[in-house]
Amino acid sequence: MTNLLIALVVILAIAALVQLVRVNELLSEITNEDTNSVTDDDNNKNGILFLLTIPLFLGFVVWQMVTWDHLLLPPASSVHGAEIDSLMKVSMTLILIVFFALTPMLFFFAYKYRGKKGNTAYFFSHNNKLEVVWTVVPTIILTALIIYGLRTWDRAMNPDLSQATVIEVYSKQFDWTARYAGEDNVLGQSSYLLVKGKNTLGVDMLDEPSSDDIVTREVHLPVNKPVLLKFRSRDVIHSAFLPHFRVQMNCVPGLSTQFGFTPTKTTEQMKLEEGEDFEYVLLCNKICGAAHFNMQMKFIVESEEDYNKWISSQQSLETTLTLK
Amino acid sequence: MKKSIKEKALKQLLWVGIVSISMFFAGLTSAFIVRKAEGNWTEFILPDWFIASTAVIILSSLLLIFVKIRLRKGKSIFNLLFTTLVLGIIFSYFQFEGWGQLTNQGIYLTGEGSNVAGSFLYVLTLSHLVHLAGGLIALVFSSVKSKLNLYSIDNCLGLDLTINYWHFLTVLWLYLFIFLKFL
Amino acid sequence: MSDHHHKETFITKYIFSTDHKMIAKQFLITGMFMAIIGMLMSAIFRVQLANPGEYSILYELLPGGWLNEDGGLNPDKYLALVTMHGTILVFWVLTAGLSGTFANFLIPLQIGARDMASGFINMLSYWFFFIATVVLLSSLFVESGPASGGWTIYPPLSALPQAIPGSGTGMTLWLYSITLFVVGSLLGGLNYIVTILNLRTKGMSMQRLPLTVWALLITAILGVLSFPVLLSCGLLLLFDRSFGTSFYLSDIIINGEALHNVGGSPILFEHLFWFLGHPEVYIILLPALGIVSEVIAVNSRKPIFGYKAMVGALLLIAFLSFIVWGHHMFMTGMNPFLGSVFTFTTLLIAIPSAVKVFNYLATLWRANIRFTPAMLFAIGTVSAFITGGLTGLILGDSALDINVHDTYFVVGHFHIVMGLSAIYGMFAGVYHWFPKMYGKMMNKTLGYVHFWGTFICAYGVFFPMHFLGLAGLPRRYYTNSSFPMFDGLADINEIITFFALAGAIVQAIFIFNFFYSIFKGTKTTANPWKSNTLEWTTPIERIHGNWPGELPVVTRWAYDYSKPGMDEDFVMQNVPLKEGEKEH
Repeated sequence: MTNLLIALVVILAIAALVQLVRVNELLSEITNEDTNSVTDDDNNKNGILFLLTIPLFLGFVVWQMVTWDHLLLPPASSVHGAEIDSLMKVSMTLILIVFFALTPMLFFFAYKYRGKKGNTAYFFSHNNKLEVVWTVVPTIILTALIIYGLRTWDRAMNPDLSQATVIEVYSKQFDWTARYAGEDNVLGQSSYLLVKGKNTLGVDMLDEPSSDDIVTREVHLPVNKPVLLKFRSRDVIHSAFLPHFRVQMNCVPGLSTQFGFTPTKTTEQMKLEEGEDFEYVLLCNKICGAAHFNMQMKFIVESEEDYNKWISSQQSLETTLTLK
Repeated sequence: MKKSIKEKALKQLLWVGIVSISMFFAGLTSAFIVRKAEGNWTEFILPDWFIASTAVIILSSLLLIFVKIRLRKGKSIFNLLFTTLVLGIIFSYFQFEGWGQLTNQGIYLTGEGSNVAGSFLYVLTLSHLVHLAGGLIALVFSSVKSKLNLYSIDNCLGLDLTINYWHFLTVLWLYLFIFLKFL
Repeated sequence: MSDHHHKETFITKYIFSTDHKMIAKQFLITGMFMAIIGMLMSAIFRVQLANPGEYSILYELLPGGWLNEDGGLNPDKYLALVTMHGTILVFWVLTAGLSGTFANFLIPLQIGARDMASGFINMLSYWFFFIATVVLLSSLFVESGPASGGWTIYPPLSALPQAIPGSGTGMTLWLYSITLFVVGSLLGGLNYIVTILNLRTKGMSMQRLPLTVWALLITAILGVLSFPVLLSCGLLLLFDRSFGTSFYLSDIIINGEALHNVGGSPILFEHLFWFLGHPEVYIILLPALGIVSEVIAVNSRKPIFGYKAMVGALLLIAFLSFIVWGHHMFMTGMNPFLGSVFTFTTLLIAIPSAVKVFNYLATLWRANIRFTPAMLFAIGTVSAFITGGLTGLILGDSALDINVHDTYFVVGHFHIVMGLSAIYGMFAGVYHWFPKMYGKMMNKTLGYVHFWGTFICAYGVFFPMHFLGLAGLPRRYYTNSSFPMFDGLADINEIITFFALAGAIVQAIFIFNFFYSIFKGTKTTANPWKSNTLEWTTPIERIHGNWPGELPVVTRWAYDYSKPGMDEDFVMQNVPLKEGEKEH
């Protein structure tokens, strides 16, 4: 029934529109003017609308920036993340300046130079000097930005991993599992052909480093200590996204990828700053199937003491996987 | 439009099309190079049949060169065209034999014992053969038209297009052959 | 003189026409039809995002089986909608609908040619496109649903029906459809290039070509070089899907079953895909910019500023577009040095883009602007190009991309550059050349309402997305309610959906205006916009061969608007130079 009513409303709306347009045309036939030629009045109206766009559109942008600022991610909780945040601030400032300069200029020109009968446009076809200026200036600014960006990228991608705790993050439809490399800080070999029963990660228990590996469903990290996350996938491409740490890396079946970083703020600290409900979380960020929207794993950053307490209470694979 | 301009334009159409087809093979051969660099790549010898088919296709292109020369002299070109068509069919047959020789070596497109090196070879040569099929169709048309004496040196656009496309197929095969043999 | 006078039947005039003007309209109508479908899809999934899991009357539009028991949308069908929306809008609307329409319509007319070099191949290009459309739409009705791996169809997700149902028959149909689409596109592109190079009328040197034609030429070259690589990419995927090869697949367990594939790499797919994928977005954008150059010049009554620089910028953008594809792949674990190279080339492409914006601004400076609906949309294009282009500087910087990749930040960016900038360019083109296409004028007032409504709603939809992205919200999520960290974003989602639905309704005004005006619009004059380009020298009723007598002879460039010393504020390209007048 509702469908019928909606269809009726739509049809009537269209009919109304047709009538309006017909009336308009008939009126113009009477007054003998071309309804579709653009008049000075049209130019004025649209020109003023463009002028109004400046405060309204820019106001809308500023309103969003102010109203939603508190919803954005908090400052980064990692070393390289802080550098990324600085780069982001600089880049955003730059593009906002350009946006707030060019956008009003565009709409202001649309207003100021709105057409009027009797006006003549200024025949100004080119100016090579101007072209050089507005090619060279962006080039210089962009070169500086590129250099800054590449330095930040290099530092994020090539951290000092000599002391890093190695943890494997294993993705599959639709959850995450972590595997700590244990005391030897070396992950045991694994193969998808060895996935069976409790050995959900396909760890090769015959490989020596495997025995002290620890499999968990949440990740604890000691604050201010480097960690190296190594990623694998069981089935399709997933992406490990840890937004608070500014970490993201695709998990690709058949390949191994990694991302090393150092967390700088404990979960406790973040709860004080962001509210009791705060948790660090790992999300999937590459379309991977129906439940892509719900692949999560908790990350907890804590003091080294608490971390050691926690890790020593975990069971190694030697215990959990080998028959006793 | 003037006939000469139309002919020039249509010939250019073919060339641009040939550029497109080349980009298709460039995509496949780039994929080959990237994948090979990652390892787990079975090396194998190219079947002798492919050497034979290379000779055949080169011969067929040579014959086509003579076609225009003969046409200029007003002589009959049907025999040359028909022979080229036959050579094209022989080429195709040799490709099939080559694939047979590969499976004898244990190189398959897919399946338990297959390796991606083999898969690539089949995909590349099969893609070439599919495009060659188009060339064979064109040769059929040209042969028929030449039998009906419809071509003269001033009126042979279809023939020119066929010949140019066939030369492209030969060059493309040479590129693929050398690529597969030495990479 | 026209080539030949053949008797036109209904079939040869409207269906299997070889006349470029009719083929252009076929592309336009098909493109508009697909745009409506793509837009309805987005309305549906936006409703899901605003009211997750709840039933909506809009879901009645969906084929059976897409809803779950309580009336909410199935998560995997949500992904199907997102996939098809992207596919339809990127390829069917913004590539075929935009290039197919305007390249076909404008090229012969603006260069002074009777038709394309090969009308037959041109006709084939439409019919391949038509069949591709039928195949794609048929995938909506298969039981397992259409392709659902995103329009970017990365394997293994797109290779394995066990990973998501849409990767079964739906994905196979997608691949066949795209193959037909690409062949059609290439057939068109060949024609555009060869026609522009060979069939320009006397006096139409390359330096006198309107910028629209330059843009369409460069776009066609981009397409000819990049689309075939999509075919090679798709061919290898087809083999993996249907013949068990391992080009892209390796070490996979799906649904408990270990697959035999070893040695393949999904990253190889991504390289091949984006080698097309990036030039593709310029294939979408450049024709829009070309149209906008024309519309702005005509309606400013001044030459487009910096014609040579504009051509140079187009060429530089086209060239650079081939070496930036890796910026879609920063987070794949590629060698960081390679990432640096792509950051460098990507930020470089900002330079010619900026040059174009400055030239548009300079064209408007001291102009005498006539606000036709086309001009409104042209200005909208420039605004969106500024807004969207600037966020590209964030995304192109690899270090910054770490936290915005695949979030709503990138969704906002590409919608503003494509969904606003390029679509506005398409609207501008339709409003501007409608009189030439149909001999009637579109209603001006409805055009104004359409523009302002769309302008407001579109920014309302896509600007807030940047904030969602900076809040860490990933794209392609069925709902944002699974993570407490996103609970605060629910209001923004509702605002976006509101503007999306409002914007969709506003488009009805355009559809109405378009079709009503074809039949009942006021008749146009020969040159309603007082434009210089050659298409306006043809008769209003449009004939085969375009000009009834001799082809026009060109004596000047296309931008003598308000030239000092001339009688009117425009001088058409075929008007001989006055006594003592120097060519610009």
